[in-house]
Amino acid sequence: MNPALEYHQLQTRRRFFQGAGLKVGGIALAQLLGHRAFAVQPPAVGGVHPALPGFPHFAPKAKNLIYLHMNGAPAQMDLFDYKPKMQEFFDKDLPASVRNKQRITTMTSGQARFPVAPSKFAFERCGQSGILMSELVPHMKEIADDVTMIKSVHTDAINHDPACTFVMTGSEVPGKPSLGSWISYGLGSESQDLPAFVVFTPTFPKASQAQALFTRMWSSGFLPSKYDGVALRGSGDPVLYVKNPPGVDPSDRRVMLDALGKLNRKTFERFGDPETQTRISQYEMAFRMQSSVPELTDLGTESKATLEMYGPNVQKPGSYANSAILTRRLIERGVRTVQILHRGWDQHGNLPKLIKGQCMDVDQPTAALVKDLKQRGLLEDTLVVFGGEFGRTVYCQGKLSKENYGRDHHPRNFCMWMAGGGIKAGTTYGETDDFSYNITENPVHLNELNATIMHCLGIDNHRFTFPFQGLQQRLTGVEDAYPVQGILA
Amino acid sequence: MSLKILPIVAVLPFLSNGEEKVFFNRDVRPILSENCFACHGQDAKHRKAKLRLDERAGALVDRDGVRAIAPGDLEKSEVWARIISKDEDEVMPPPKSHKKLTAADKNVLKRWIEQGAEYEVHWSFTSLQKQQVPKVSGTENPIDAFLQDRLLTEGLKPAETAKPEILVRRVYLDLIGLPPTPAEVDAFLADKSSRAWGEMIDGLMGRETYGEHMARYWLDLARYADTHGLHLDNERSMWPYRDWVVRAFNKNLPFDEFTRWQLAGDLLPKPTIDQRVASGFNRCNITTGEGGSIKDEWIYRYAVDRTSTAVEVWMGLTAGCAVCHDHKFDPLSTKEYYSLYSFFHSAADPAMDGNKNNTPPIIRVPRPGDDKRLAALDAEIAKAHKGVAAAVTKIKYQDPASLDPLPKPERKKTLWFEDDFPKGKLQVTGPPLTFVTKEQGPVFSGKRAITRTAKNATGQDVFSEGTPLVIPKGGKFFVHCYLDPDNPPEAVMVQFYVGGWKHRVVWGAHEKIGWGNVNTHERIDMGPLPDKGKWVRLEFSAAKVGLKPGHKVTGYAFTQFSGKMGWDHFGVESTTNPAKDPTLSWKVWKEQGEGVRNKDLTDDLRKRFKGKVPAKWNKTQEKELHRHWLTNVYSGASETLGPLTRKIAALERKKAEVNKNAAITFVMADLPKARQSYVMIRGQYDNPGEKVSRGVPAFLPALPAKPKDRDYNRLDLANWMVRDDHPLTARVAVNRIWQQFFGTGLVRTSADFGTQGELPSHSELLDWLALRFIEDDWNMQRFVKRILTSHAYRQSTKVSPALLEKDPENRLLARGPRHRLDAEVIRDQALSVSGLLVSTIGGRGVLPYQPPNIWEPVGFGRSNTRFYKQGKGDDLYRRSLYTFLKRTAPAPFMASFDAPNREQSCTARGRSNTPMQALQLMNDIQHVEAARNLAQRILKEGGVKDNQRIQWAWRTVTSRRPASDEAKIITDVLKGHLSRYAEDLEAAKQLIAYGESVPDKELAPHELASWTLVANLLLNLDEVVNKN
Repeated sequence: MNPALEYHQLQTRRRFFQGAGLKVGGIALAQLLGHRAFAVQPPAVGGVHPALPGFPHFAPKAKNLIYLHMNGAPAQMDLFDYKPKMQEFFDKDLPASVRNKQRITTMTSGQARFPVAPSKFAFERCGQSGILMSELVPHMKEIADDVTMIKSVHTDAINHDPACTFVMTGSEVPGKPSLGSWISYGLGSESQDLPAFVVFTPTFPKASQAQALFTRMWSSGFLPSKYDGVALRGSGDPVLYVKNPPGVDPSDRRVMLDALGKLNRKTFERFGDPETQTRISQYEMAFRMQSSVPELTDLGTESKATLEMYGPNVQKPGSYANSAILTRRLIERGVRTVQILHRGWDQHGNLPKLIKGQCMDVDQPTAALVKDLKQRGLLEDTLVVFGGEFGRTVYCQGKLSKENYGRDHHPRNFCMWMAGGGIKAGTTYGETDDFSYNITENPVHLNELNATIMHCLGIDNHRFTFPFQGLQQRLTGVEDAYPVQGILA
Repeated sequence: MSLKILPIVAVLPFLSNGEEKVFFNRDVRPILSENCFACHGQDAKHRKAKLRLDERAGALVDRDGVRAIAPGDLEKSEVWARIISKDEDEVMPPPKSHKKLTAADKNVLKRWIEQGAEYEVHWSFTSLQKQQVPKVSGTENPIDAFLQDRLLTEGLKPAETAKPEILVRRVYLDLIGLPPTPAEVDAFLADKSSRAWGEMIDGLMGRETYGEHMARYWLDLARYADTHGLHLDNERSMWPYRDWVVRAFNKNLPFDEFTRWQLAGDLLPKPTIDQRVASGFNRCNITTGEGGSIKDEWIYRYAVDRTSTAVEVWMGLTAGCAVCHDHKFDPLSTKEYYSLYSFFHSAADPAMDGNKNNTPPIIRVPRPGDDKRLAALDAEIAKAHKGVAAAVTKIKYQDPASLDPLPKPERKKTLWFEDDFPKGKLQVTGPPLTFVTKEQGPVFSGKRAITRTAKNATGQDVFSEGTPLVIPKGGKFFVHCYLDPDNPPEAVMVQFYVGGWKHRVVWGAHEKIGWGNVNTHERIDMGPLPDKGKWVRLEFSAAKVGLKPGHKVTGYAFTQFSGKMGWDHFGVESTTNPAKDPTLSWKVWKEQGEGVRNKDLTDDLRKRFKGKVPAKWNKTQEKELHRHWLTNVYSGASETLGPLTRKIAALERKKAEVNKNAAITFVMADLPKARQSYVMIRGQYDNPGEKVSRGVPAFLPALPAKPKDRDYNRLDLANWMVRDDHPLTARVAVNRIWQQFFGTGLVRTSADFGTQGELPSHSELLDWLALRFIEDDWNMQRFVKRILTSHAYRQSTKVSPALLEKDPENRLLARGPRHRLDAEVIRDQALSVSGLLVSTIGGRGVLPYQPPNIWEPVGFGRSNTRFYKQGKGDDLYRRSLYTFLKRTAPAPFMASFDAPNREQSCTARGRSNTPMQALQLMNDIQHVEAARNLAQRILKEGGVKDNQRIQWAWRTVTSRRPASDEAKIITDVLKGHLSRYAEDLEAAKQLIAYGESVPDKELAPHELASWTLVANLLLNLDEVVNKN
């Protein structure tokens, strides 16, 4: 072993346990080490980066997280929140007592009426658990016994940009780290040659209203940028710059890297800067990624049965189905967090037609992903979350008929489901009124949902902080937010 | 054991009993702040047991015989009893808080109470203290005296001066963000004078690239970007502000002015364009245009962003906490926060940015070169005016009103359409314009007439952008229409353009066409349709349709709804009576306007002659006005004056065009009537509490007395920020500049000088620097030079294992600063050494190489920044400062090297070290293309032998010559590549063709490819991506 490297590792480890900051007031060592301005990061020899000392806080139920975000806000009463009584309310005004003067967006606040638009889709009790799902998601019905359906999620924001920022970073104001970045920062990476946090932004039906995504939904905010989510892309390089330029093959790169390593070691002798050692190992990691990423995206080793399970688009790079199967492959390879952000769920008008297209995209691959994880024994270690940034209104936006309607934003309740490590299987949690307008039982704020996710991963959200702007920042906000005991296995 | 870096305190550190003295700020406050103040601090609402420990009075108060702290008496101090309690319900801090005191913490608190529990005001809130420069032999620069004085006490010595080749590269990268050329390195090496270093610094500060580099740091603070940042994230035109920041650094605008202009440039007396542009600082915040948004929420958020940003940038305080509740740690109450907020709460920008690039308030800033263009036009205009003046003197004028007998009225007819439209632009609605001759259809007069058919829709022939047709006095229009008897139209309309289509007459079912408000000049209902099957003359007075004498019509339209009809012989008739016409008779004109506003006068003349009847004019005045009348009003000289005035009009149009093309930039302005501000309870936009007025926090210096005639405004706030006795502004500013050069500030938490922030490593030095900065009239360049001429800056960065262990973060500066270059510098350096760099300064953001699908997967469907359209040519090689910054999807070369996305203010960038960076530097097209261009330079400029070329190349990228073993490694690699590419020419050609620049055809592809990979290797060296 290189003596300089050995020395450096020793130094770093020692500093790890001693702390080296200026702060004298008992600030957690972990925070010190993660501080943005902290000049010396632990070297990443081998893995991408290690867990913080003391992490996880307790034995985790899940090692990995898959977060399926339906961007634009799916209509809960057309998918999962069955409201049979609404049929008799067709085109009747939403009772004032139900709306109760709650704020609504300026897109519908000028409407003369708020006529109820019952869902036109049929619902069915599924599996042994009898969880209700609509005909829009026939494949998800098959995994009903694996999920906990939460019908009472609520959020603070009423418009997309702040709500998307909130659901992913716990704050409506940009600048905070995303959930996946927090997790990478705390738990580190298991993989030797892939990033700890990977993001997909798949294609979506052309007819749909493409609400925007924001890189802040997977970026590291005030945490060091190495905790940014890495986008795995459907076209071009799957990971940015992973391909050698034309005319350069891996052996050319190897020659270059060997020389670079030698020269950089001389630089280390010259200046003694431990960052130089880190850089040497990061170049080696980069080289490994140049082979691990193509291997990852090559579906040649998948069985026909598996591919069929994900549906007809599975081989189409950039599709949701393709992202879903790659998600499983990433989890197999030790990637900590994978997020798929599927766009096009913002149906202010023409909802029945458009939501069908959305479901065609995601229903089968989502169900397949859960089944596939389960058949490989990965589901018990993996937490899967499915949801959007808020819900939609029971009253119609625009023209109403039995067959066609639109729905505005509704932050006061919406559905999300979770499955896998740490979560009860086959239950429903929380309840809403007959109008799917107010929560009547067991509300779950997004901060509590995030606390629950962290809990499953072995993290106490209250102890997981980072100093920024004069505060010990947390994903779950300043106020206390506790995991939802009722859904924990 | 690693070192705990604490400030040295000037007072004796030991008490008479030999015990080390405990200091509140240094030792105690951090413990209390971390563990106690959240519940026992200044936030009244969340205070537990009504006990506060952040003030001595509160801590000492006797509560039923119990005192939280009894100075000098541990036994009687309830705090201590709680700290050491074993009872879970008693112990402090409570287990639920997840906070715990260490044994060391407890010891500090114990001794502090024993020593008398003295409190101190938080260090950064106390006024700047004049500091004695320590006497340390061998130091010239006071910075070194302070630093080395400290090193001595730690038993350390400063490092030796770095090698000149290292130094010259360090200072170039630090001042202009670009590496020196080998010639520049040589020049410095050759200059043995003791002034060489200082002169080089001066020289670099004199370059325009200096401002470009310094501006970057400020733009991070200002959160400057080229898009709005939220939802659609459309383009915003803000770049004149960015360019102003560059200029401000180049002009060395003093920091106090720099502050005033940005916080309140719009409020300065008669603000210059630059001052207004600078006020855009407060318009750089992210904004939304998302449908459905609630207005109050966004007005509130923008004001909060502006307040928090200003407080953080100038005062280093994190005011954000006080948005929702009294600051738990710093003495900033919620009410005080909203008093600051009130300064920004009346900004005139709307809640919805409208998703446009010119959300008001804006100004238009002349583009570079526009001032010259405008000056040239002005000169031409002046010349033309002189021509007019000369022509006017030649007019032999006789007033028709003075003739005897008086001249007779004359009838005059001007045709506006006969056979054709005047010269201008034609547009039609419906089938193309069709004329018929007498043989083909109805013609009223002349050779031909218009015929038009419209199928159940509006049809029209529209003429526009013609030479102005002037409305005569008493003008009466006529037009001839032929309605097809079998298929007549439902409505017939004539429209006029005078700066807008606002004058219309219509016959028939006017609502069918519908434009304009009916029964106004916009749509005069003239009654039923004319008879069918014959030519009918339609008449209407100019006055009826709102056209006044002198109005200049530049367009008109013949419009119909459905049916078929003909149009012909259109014009205006008027009767002229020279003896009564003010455009012909001086006397009439002179007397007509008495007592009313005379529209023929210029503002200046009107002001001077206001209230003066002609009888009272003296000779000079009479002459002056007569000349004005002849020039501008008199219609009898149109043949001589006409061409000249038309020329002037054309020049004025050109000038307007230039002004129209001037760049838009957002500026700050306040509403005419200020909004009432309130404390917003729990930071909710819809939950106003107590009213607040503008003011500053009580723990800082007070504002001067309020002016009698107005409220405090942002200018008062800006002036207050840069007062000499403000304890924070100068400290925060110098600390940030220090951080820029040394990597870490003297206060590491450069954005937080509050009690949650860290203490300065060298508090005396910080105060000395801050005071000098103020004494030097906030001169930024002088301050930078002070730092760069220190030995501390010029030291070698080499670190021994022992020193690394003792001071891993280099807070004591016993070695020089070494760290990874910023994103922009890494790219600019590659462009510079490859010779690709295009040094054009300023302008709209450019779109260099970017991999596909960075913008597209996130962009909103209708966003105008959804699709990335890569630029061409120069745009690919501009400095990174000019790369278009889309906040919701920033350029990967920026983001992966820790450049912030500018959604909010950023005081210190991270310096990560990741595999993604390695992939980018190896494979990104911009870096590969730069490597190939560098290879071309190596082959053409680096000599003919491989070892010469290696020497040249190495020196170009590192500024030093390679050691022999380094050169050997390169030689070996080169040999390998040469033989590989000689065998695979196809691969070589592919590699060198990568990028839009064309590979040099004179060079053998296998050689160029091999050197390209060598250059790629060099540009990836740790030494090259770092300042050393």
